[in-house]
Parts: sequence; C-alpha cells; structure tokens
Amino acid sequence: MIYADNAATTRISDKAFEKMLPFLREQYGNASSQYSLGAKAKRAIEHAREQVALAIGAKTVEITFTSGGSEANSWLLQGIAELFGGESIHIITSSIEHHSVLNACRALEDKSTEVTYLPVDGSGRVSLDDVKLSIRPNTRLVSIMLANNEVGTIQPVAEIGSYLHEKGILFHTDAVQAVGHIPVDVNEMHVDFLSASAHKFNGAKGTGFLFKRSGLKLPSMIFGGEQEHGYRAGTENVAGIVALGYALEESVAKMQTTGTRLKAMIDDTVRGVQKVIPSVKINGDAENRLPGTVNLGFDGVSGESLKNILDLKGVCVSTSSACNSGKDIPSHVLLALGLSEEEAKSAIRISYGMYNTLEEVEYVVSAICDAYRKIKSAI
Amino acid sequence: MDGKVCYVCGKENLSKKEIGLTKKLLSKNAKIYYCLGCLAEYLEVDTEFLIEKVEEFKAQGCELF
Repeated sequence: MIYADNAATTRISDKAFEKMLPFLREQYGNASSQYSLGAKAKRAIEHAREQVALAIGAKTVEITFTSGGSEANSWLLQGIAELFGGESIHIITSSIEHHSVLNACRALEDKSTEVTYLPVDGSGRVSLDDVKLSIRPNTRLVSIMLANNEVGTIQPVAEIGSYLHEKGILFHTDAVQAVGHIPVDVNEMHVDFLSASAHKFNGAKGTGFLFKRSGLKLPSMIFGGEQEHGYRAGTENVAGIVALGYALEESVAKMQTTGTRLKAMIDDTVRGVQKVIPSVKINGDAENRLPGTVNLGFDGVSGESLKNILDLKGVCVSTSSACNSGKDIPSHVLLALGLSEEEAKSAIRISYGMYNTLEEVEYVVSAICDAYRKIKSAI
Repeated sequence: MDGKVCYVCGKENLSKKEIGLTKKLLSKNAKIYYCLGCLAEYLEVDTEFLIEKVEEFKAQGCELF
C-alpha cells in the first residue's frame, strides 16, 4: 500500500509512538493526581507544551491542548462571539477555509454575527486589499488559514497579520496543514490565535492545540476542573499530548530536508504524469504551496473514479469532491478558485509525507496514468 | 435489469451491482459496461475484491448499488 494522502492524516512517527507508549502503560497516572505517578504525567504535558511553544515562537502559557484542529477552530470562533456577547460583531474569513471554520461561522450567522467570506484568486490566495476593503467598524476577528488543505496554497498571513495588528483587529490562522511542514512563527505572522492538529504532523490522532496570545481572553470551552488553565476541563490525553510534542519537535528539526525531498517527489509526480497526460494541470498555486501537496485536474475524467481505481492498485489519494448518496458534491475550494463543477469533480489530491519514498513516486505515476487510460477507454 | 451488456464477453442483463461498479470505478457516463469477471480482469484485481468494494461503497452511502 502506498499512502499518498498525508494531508488527510499521517502515520505516527516512530519516535512519537515510542514516547507516548509509557503513558498508556507504566506512566498512566492522571496529571491532576497528587502523587508521583500523577506528577510525572503533569511534567510530561508541560514538557510537550514547551516543545510546542518553542516550535512556533510562543510562550508556554499561550498553548492550550485540544482534541484537534476542529475543536481549536470551533472554540476560538464560538468563544470570540461569546466574548463580545451583546455586541453585533463582524468576522472576516475566506471562502476556502476548512469546514470547521466555515460551519462555525455559519452557526454564528444564525446568532446575528455578520460574516464576510472573502474570495480567492485562481491560485487560491486571499488578497490583503480584499481584507482591507471588508473591514467594518464592528470587525472583531479575521480568520484566514495558513495553508489550504485541498490545494496547499500558502496565504500571505504575515502580510495580513501585520496590517490587522496595526488596526487592532484580532487575527486567527488555521495552521493545521502548515504546522510541522513550513516555518511557523506566531510573532512574525502577527497572529493572535493559531490552530493545529497533531495527526497532520505525524503525531497521534485526537490531539491538537490552540495558541492564544498572552493577555487575550476566551471563555472556557469545557467546564469542570482546572486542566489547561481552566479552559478545557477533563483529564488530559497525556499520551497523545506527549506524542504531539515529540512529533512536532521532530518535524521542525527535519523540516528543511523533508520539505526539499517532498517537493522533489511532488515535482517528479507532476512531471511524470504530464509526460503521459499532457492535459493534466495543477489546481492552486504552482509554486507557493505546501511542499508535499499537489492537486491535479484531469480533463474529462472523474477524480472519484481515479481515486477508486488507485485504491484498487493500493494507492491512497483523495478527491476534492465527496460522493454522498451517489451524488458528487464538488469541492467548495476548487469552485472558489474559479473551476467549473466538472473541473472540480475531475481533481485528485496527492500529498506525500515523511515516510514516502522515491520508489513509491514511480509507482504512483504509473498507477495514475494506467487508471486514467482505463477510464478514458470506457467513456 | 437495465438491459446492459458486457462489452467484453457479451453477458446480457448485467446486474445492478455490475452496472454500479462500472459507473463507480470507470465513469458515471460510461458508454460501455463490464460484467464482474471482465471488470476484474480489466482492472487487474480479483472478483472477491470488487465485491468487498461494493460493500464499502454501500456503507459510504453510495446509491449506485
């Protein structure tokens, strides 16, 4: 099996796995317990918090562990609305955000929050000018993802953050696809909030974090004990948090070499496919995107069929459209980039990770070309 | 069922499952259809594997089957 869907999730790194295991067996203490076993668990969580803070240029007190990126996004958006409760607030986001942001915004709209969904250009980039033009007197938050999950396009977050900082408007970035893959520094990007998820950078599923700049308040997300500075009550997922810390530390340490290797693998894949299928095109930004991710459009061939045949061949990729109840729903991201419904349904995303090899790339290229040929013969 | 015929062996009256598999794996706009055996051969997999996939697709809510 060749796993080329690392934007969906990743295999846990060997190191992270080894580091988390003792906290499921020998060191299984509750971090709130007042004896050594509990204290060791507590220390492990705080060590992970230090690893995260170091990785993104934050302070430890600014990191709150969550169950993942969606929880972090939902907490932040609902929390902001609650924080300004009673006030009619305006939020700016983009039309290509993850559904955890878009659906949270839609839920807020039902409660009288105004939301502007910014368009993107053909490469999937948000324009700073559009942000500027959309600001209203009651704009309280701007939420723009750092890198898109479907096409990998990297947004001008530092540029937007710098402007918003001057204007005194809070800025959040959903960095789920970026953290551990490209350099992330919360100060250079001028962000007030940042969401991330461990399983996107070879950590374990079920853990993530929200960076919240010191001095900023958010209402508690879960009530109960004082875990996570009182923001998220409940016994901590110690093993998952430990894995998150080590996975992020490892990803950051290897970022440059991994990034160079992944980019070369993606370039080889695109070149290899284009050699046989000249009409194939890259959806999104050809250059300014995540090193391991590419979204390819195939003229007149369904992405879902390609994905299914690749699955038969043991290659895991993803489509941008979801087949629900026999109906293809085209990707909101690709439509926002200006693709037609048919084009949006003819795309697949390939995303390599640290465990992919150059040998696998050759097989992926050959499998894609063969699948394409087989589909074309039937239509 | 739908009066479809296998493009390779000529098997008549392809089942809903066979028509669904051709549509799901090749194209919803397929002009030619395959019986289970010929589709398995075309895609270089065994028939049992394709039957397993049908169950997966059904579980995903696909109404082609």
